Amino acid sequence: MALLELRNVHVAVAGRRVVRGVNLEVDRGELHVLLGPNGSGKSTLLKAIMGIPGYSVVEGEIRFEGRDLRDFKPHERAKMGIAMAYQSTRPIGVTLSRLIRELCRLYGSSPADISGLGLEGLLDRELHRGFSGGESKRVELALTILQRPKLALLDEPDSGVDLESIRVAGKAINRLVERGAAVLLVTHTGIVAEYLRRVDEAHVMVDGKIVASGELPHLLREVRVKGYSGLARGGANEHN
Amino acid sequence: MSIIDELARAGGTALYLQRNYDVLRRVVADSLRRRGLILEPLSEAVEKRSWVRKLLWRALPKEEGVKPYGAFLYVPPGLRIQAPLTFCFVVSEAEQLVHNVIVIDEGSDVLVTSACASTKRGEAHEGYTEVYLRRGARLNYVMIHSWMRETRVTAKTGVEVGEEGSFTQFYTCLKSPSSLTSDSRALLRQEATALLSTLYVASPSSSTTISSTIILAGEGSGGEVLARAVAVKGATLRLPTRIEARAPGSRGHIECRGLQLSPDSRIETTPALYSLRGGSQLTHEAAIGKISEEELYYLMSRGFTEEEATSLLVRGFLETGIRGLPEVMKPQVDAILSILARKAVG
Repeated sequence: MALLELRNVHVAVAGRRVVRGVNLEVDRGELHVLLGPNGSGKSTLLKAIMGIPGYSVVEGEIRFEGRDLRDFKPHERAKMGIAMAYQSTRPIGVTLSRLIRELCRLYGSSPADISGLGLEGLLDRELHRGFSGGESKRVELALTILQRPKLALLDEPDSGVDLESIRVAGKAINRLVERGAAVLLVTHTGIVAEYLRRVDEAHVMVDGKIVASGELPHLLREVRVKGYSGLARGGANEHN
Repeated sequence: MSIIDELARAGGTALYLQRNYDVLRRVVADSLRRRGLILEPLSEAVEKRSWVRKLLWRALPKEEGVKPYGAFLYVPPGLRIQAPLTFCFVVSEAEQLVHNVIVIDEGSDVLVTSACASTKRGEAHEGYTEVYLRRGARLNYVMIHSWMRETRVTAKTGVEVGEEGSFTQFYTCLKSPSSLTSDSRALLRQEATALLSTLYVASPSSSTTISSTIILAGEGSGGEVLARAVAVKGATLRLPTRIEARAPGSRGHIECRGLQLSPDSRIETTPALYSLRGGSQLTHEAAIGKISEEELYYLMSRGFTEEEATSLLVRGFLETGIRGLPEVMKPQVDAILSILARKAVG
């Protein structure tokens, strides 16, 4: 049994189907990369797995460790071992240091778990208020690490940030994997993958559907040659 | 160890404890007594010292019928005390009327904590506190109160801050009563500063009015009013605030925020700025809102229940209203924030 199983998942936002029939399996400890253009439904899919209200699974099912997630609220899913690093968020009215303390208490983790991620100057500030793009991404990854997840959903940790921030994001993702987490990583460009020790499988999502799966370098080449729309029309060539 | 001994120990340097009208404990460290610090019942001070008699009701409008049944604190010039001097008033039966006078002499720098509480049989507490800071004196005045629901509370504080003096007031209630009226007003001389801050969580179906006024009477004086208030089910909270600039080069700011945790609660903020002379700078910001669903679900997705997430957000909201507190108070204030946040979500 896979850790995460998506079976014909359709997700609607404000009545519109954004994700349309996704099938995907992620095993324990595996790192999967989900590529796709803006608006293809990648972030929507992650939010639906996390159970965020407004991202309704209208068809199909999401199973985690064999359990249908349908009736579980976000905090229950988090306690089951699912954590999410958000792409962007409005300021949250809690200081970063308070949230770190509370997460350590909740999950038995330690601030030492997130050392080296460059958070020192942010601790006394309200979460995400006035943070730069890179700071927000680092903080999201750090909070995800503190949750000691079995499955980490990472929404574009490499978009809109400088190379140093991408390097730190790569370091944080490697740390998650070292600690046994499975990772579903959403990225536009795949650039963060250059800093990862291992990627097990990659998928391309276009217009709410997974149109190709395979090895990341091969899929990235296909995207460069055919574009996302070309891949959606013809699929990926077999990888030799 | 009795609670009184614990308070004495926590008070560190001086403690004045009064239950109803009985002075139960009056302790002053020998080193401070030798340097001229006085802590005694106001009735004694008025009898022994004519200058204290002359001070009475200068910083507050006179209240007929209020007798000098409270504490008198005098801190001589040039004394700097890190540990708190503590006043404690408990009303355990009928009504308690208290009149306190605090005089901090030139260049002294002290922290005074005021702990007031009631038991179920305490029907009413009325407190009148006059504070006089002489030239260059600094006072951190921390009021941490805890009232039974049944007790009616009225508190008035009048402050005169002398030239280049600095007054910081922090007011909070661990348990708020069903009816509370508090009125603090500070008059600032040349180059003096004041910060009046309030953290308040109104209990269900309570009625609360917390007024804060700063009068910038001296050239170059500066004052700030800071309030964070949370209203739960059926609570009504009024936060009238006022800064009046009477001197050029003065500056004032009001920052008042309310958080409604229930649709049937009510919050009124009425910031008022008066500039009576040119050359002053006055600003205000006021906001009333509720907890956003986005923030709530963000925290829930990190594993907190709805109650825990709300409590964290209330704590964060209150925390932004804390400024200017001395280091020594930070652990207590941290604990207070946790208590208030828990109370807010029931």
